[in-house]
Amino acid sequence: MAITPYTGTFGRSELQHLLRRTLFGCTPGDLAHFNGMTLTQVVDELLTFSNNTAPPVKAYSALDGNNNPDPTLLDPNVLFGTTWVNTPREADAAAEVTQARLESLVAWWMGQCVEQERNMREKLVIFWHNHMPTHLGQVFNSEASYTMNQLLRTHCAGNFRQLIHDVTLEPAMLYYLNGYLNVASAPDENYGRELLELFTLGQGSGYTEADVQAAARVLTGWTVLEQSGGNPILPQTIFFPFNHTQTNKQFSAFFNNTVILGQNGPDAGENELNAMLDMIFANDECSRFIVREIYRFFVHGDIDAVTEAEVIEPLAEVFRNNVAAPDQVRTVLTALFTSEHFFSAAIRGCMIKSPADLVFGELRLLAQPLPDPALLEARFQVMRDMYWLVDYAGQNLGAPPNVAGWPAYYLYPSYDDLWLDTSTFPARNNSLLGINYNGFTTSENTYDAASANLQFKVDQVAFTQLLNNPSDPVMLIDELVDHFYVNPISQSVKDQLRQDYLLLGQQNNSYWTTAYNTYVADPNTTNMAAQLVPDILRWLIGDMQQAAEHHLF
Amino acid sequence: MQRRNFIRSMSAASLGGFAVRGFGNPLFAPLFDRAGEDRVLVIVQLYGGNDGLNTVIPLDQYGMLSQVRSNVLIPSAQVLPLQGLNGLTGLHPAMQGMRELWDLGQLSIVQGVGYPNPDYSHFRSTDIWETGANSDQLLDSGWTGRYLNFEYPNYPTGYPNATMPDPLAIRIGGPVTIGLQNMGVSMGASIYTTEDSLDLSGNIFLDPVTADCKGSKLDFVRTVQQQTDLYGNVIEAAALPSCNLSTMYPTGGQPGAELARALKIVAQLICGGLKTRLYWVSLDGFDTHSQQVDGNDTTLGAHALLLQGLSDSIRAFQDDVHLLGIEDRVLGMTFSEFGRRIKSNSSLGTDHGAAAPMFLFGSKVIPGMVGQNPEIPADTTWNTNLPMQHDFRSVYSSVLRDWFCMEQADVDTVLLDTYQPLALVDPAGCLDTSVHQLNQQAGLSLLDVYPSPFVDRTTVRFTSDGGRVVLQVFNEQGQAVRTLVNRDMSTGQHTVTADLEELPPAIYYCRFQNGARQQVKNMLKVR
Repeated sequence: MAITPYTGTFGRSELQHLLRRTLFGCTPGDLAHFNGMTLTQVVDELLTFSNNTAPPVKAYSALDGNNNPDPTLLDPNVLFGTTWVNTPREADAAAEVTQARLESLVAWWMGQCVEQERNMREKLVIFWHNHMPTHLGQVFNSEASYTMNQLLRTHCAGNFRQLIHDVTLEPAMLYYLNGYLNVASAPDENYGRELLELFTLGQGSGYTEADVQAAARVLTGWTVLEQSGGNPILPQTIFFPFNHTQTNKQFSAFFNNTVILGQNGPDAGENELNAMLDMIFANDECSRFIVREIYRFFVHGDIDAVTEAEVIEPLAEVFRNNVAAPDQVRTVLTALFTSEHFFSAAIRGCMIKSPADLVFGELRLLAQPLPDPALLEARFQVMRDMYWLVDYAGQNLGAPPNVAGWPAYYLYPSYDDLWLDTSTFPARNNSLLGINYNGFTTSENTYDAASANLQFKVDQVAFTQLLNNPSDPVMLIDELVDHFYVNPISQSVKDQLRQDYLLLGQQNNSYWTTAYNTYVADPNTTNMAAQLVPDILRWLIGDMQQAAEHHLF
Repeated sequence: MQRRNFIRSMSAASLGGFAVRGFGNPLFAPLFDRAGEDRVLVIVQLYGGNDGLNTVIPLDQYGMLSQVRSNVLIPSAQVLPLQGLNGLTGLHPAMQGMRELWDLGQLSIVQGVGYPNPDYSHFRSTDIWETGANSDQLLDSGWTGRYLNFEYPNYPTGYPNATMPDPLAIRIGGPVTIGLQNMGVSMGASIYTTEDSLDLSGNIFLDPVTADCKGSKLDFVRTVQQQTDLYGNVIEAAALPSCNLSTMYPTGGQPGAELARALKIVAQLICGGLKTRLYWVSLDGFDTHSQQVDGNDTTLGAHALLLQGLSDSIRAFQDDVHLLGIEDRVLGMTFSEFGRRIKSNSSLGTDHGAAAPMFLFGSKVIPGMVGQNPEIPADTTWNTNLPMQHDFRSVYSSVLRDWFCMEQADVDTVLLDTYQPLALVDPAGCLDTSVHQLNQQAGLSLLDVYPSPFVDRTTVRFTSDGGRVVLQVFNEQGQAVRTLVNRDMSTGQHTVTADLEELPPAIYYCRFQNGARQQVKNMLKVR
């Protein structure tokens, strides 16, 4: 049975639903861009990616004796303004160098998110990062963490088996789950277990404890090289046959009693890994598991028997039918996002925003101004602050709570409810208010003088200029409500917002129209009512940000 | 101009005009209400699976241990022997603080705690420990969530109220996970600090929720929002600086500083007069697959720092509650999702294992060691795990019966089966049952099941507010096994008969939903 395609109206609210779940929020510009396209056209574009952007560059420095920032005092082998990703750190490099590069990496990553193109790539990078996480602080290797992020980008809508294969041998993963220490004399089961439990088959699917141990033995012998001839090199995965378990690996009845023949020689690790992935992917549980992961991330936490039968199983079949296809994941996602189920009332608006969705959605919606690309240091500082803002709201990207990712994506039965509790609720609100009221500032003491002392604050008037009828107070409130909330807002609440804020307690709508038009015509107006317009909008948005409704999407 | 800012700034919070409650203020302690003197449980969760063999070290097994885990083994001369155990058992050298508690008679060690058919997944095993499930059973409620539902069956309808103005449970420094959930209701509040962060008095977003999925989700967000507001007030008011007297807490960069910060808040809130029954704190990092110990000195390294942090924090907490004069009301308990493998690996670490010791601490524990040193088999291989001596639910059963003063039959209801209690806590000093009766009546009862226990049929009485009423019976696994009502009903009281003749004898949950209001009551079917 195939999944039922969506045949209903594809109007504004359907487009909003699709974009909110696949981008970070949905801006007036996004809606205008996709306006008039068919569902298939929109989904095609959302799954079409340009080439990867330029890598992170050095925009960090250390203070000299006179308290002046000097880039040659921190990571001196990399020139200011050039990328560090191809320059190995010295074997005895100070932790500050790794730290600076990791901050540069996350700032770069946040830049990709907040300046995302109109496609799903950034959401998918976080999806895969949640599915097969590595922890920046625990791996503490900037170059390996960059290549891992690149790997997730490259394969984000590609072939899942290829992705799993590459992740297994990626230095950051070998470090994170101890694969680099997994040797024949004393196998370390950490990666083998999570490969089966969290990455491919799922806990309780039927594999045994002996399978975990056999998988660990298949994976013995890989490690990471960071030196060659006494010189530092970029982290490089290498296979040492003498550390590999050369005996046969017996798997359980769940895998049809497969025996992976023990091999020796330089290709033994690669051959046995491929044999094991073939064995795993031949099991239907693998396709079901990964489809459930996709579903829980993008659609809805709880999967009931009907959804399992009518959504998960058909998509799992699509997944299996494309097991060797280079765009396997893209095909599955296309089927999901063009399905009747995805547009059903049963799931629309019924998810709590992740902190990344909440913060980046707000930054994009309110058209947060960002530093010019030439101002490297300013960009670095602002994007790094965004990283901490998402963390403050409850999601430390690059540092998930553990190898299972964030509980909101897997923990039965509460799922996305787990983003919200009595401690994260005020933090989430505060992060939104911070965007609206405070914005971002750069430090006064920078290496590049042009980056110093800059402010990047949301311009609420400029934001309303992106709407259709900002000078009409009734329509302005209607439009803001439409952009902010998925739940309906009653006319009486809208009237109160209009009167309390836009009309300053007055009755006549023309009060706002006159003030707004006067301000827009001349921001330096001396008309006192018009001078209040930016503040009024800031207060109005600040109020709307704090509604419970704003947490749903 | 209405500028509605719900979020309090730091300065606004410190100006919050809430009366300070506590023992010293008789105005806030109604006569005969002794609930504020009731007992408190502090759960310390050790994430990652703690290596029990390097925590409570069986010195009589040293010969075998040095064969199977020599690279992580603590030199026997450095182990801290426990008085009264004939030199056979000792603590990791980093655990001076807990050794002091042992000497003070405030520590109970339960050996070999686990469950049949152990699961080696962090996530599944954590789930099992938090829900009290069997290895092959999926439960959607936590054991403490079910306990709190037993004590406060009307929660959250009509809460907070005079009998229970405070959160039933407080999680400090992490999310409320399944352990504190009951039938989709979170029975606990989560905080990081004691600052009151929300004031909803100007909120105008109060439209009725719609009768669809996004409406019920909105209802959930609003519940959290209201709890944040209300509980923020009482927590900030209770967090008196004078309610921390110990100078022993680790701080700054010292091991355990984060756990100590959480335990300090616990002491503060108990002393400040909260009626909260349960506090849940945690320490992360016990998944020591590699570099568990320092290669040059096995008494140092990651695990030593963790144990030192745990031990020093708990020692300081006990010092604090002693100085505050509340120690007889407070019991602590540690748990971790599993122990680690007997045989170490070559990464100076240990892989996932099975049974491990648990600690109970407090002035009312029955001090000593329950159970035996684990025995290391001569033929230990990579697969060999320590067998279980005590089911973890026997520990829970003891705590519920002897610390929370429950009848054994009620304990069995909460734990979904009978588990032999152990002698861990002195049962003397339970408050009289009127306190419990008061708790059970607190809040607004929308739903009653009578009789329960019942054999085939029972009567369900509920109060509708008008509109759609859904009344369903769920089994322990959270599956709806009967829908008794699913239609619009007039405002007022209604009764229906639940005929469950065909269902097996077990505990069922009757769940009532009427718009945004919901309530769950137990129903026990017997032969």
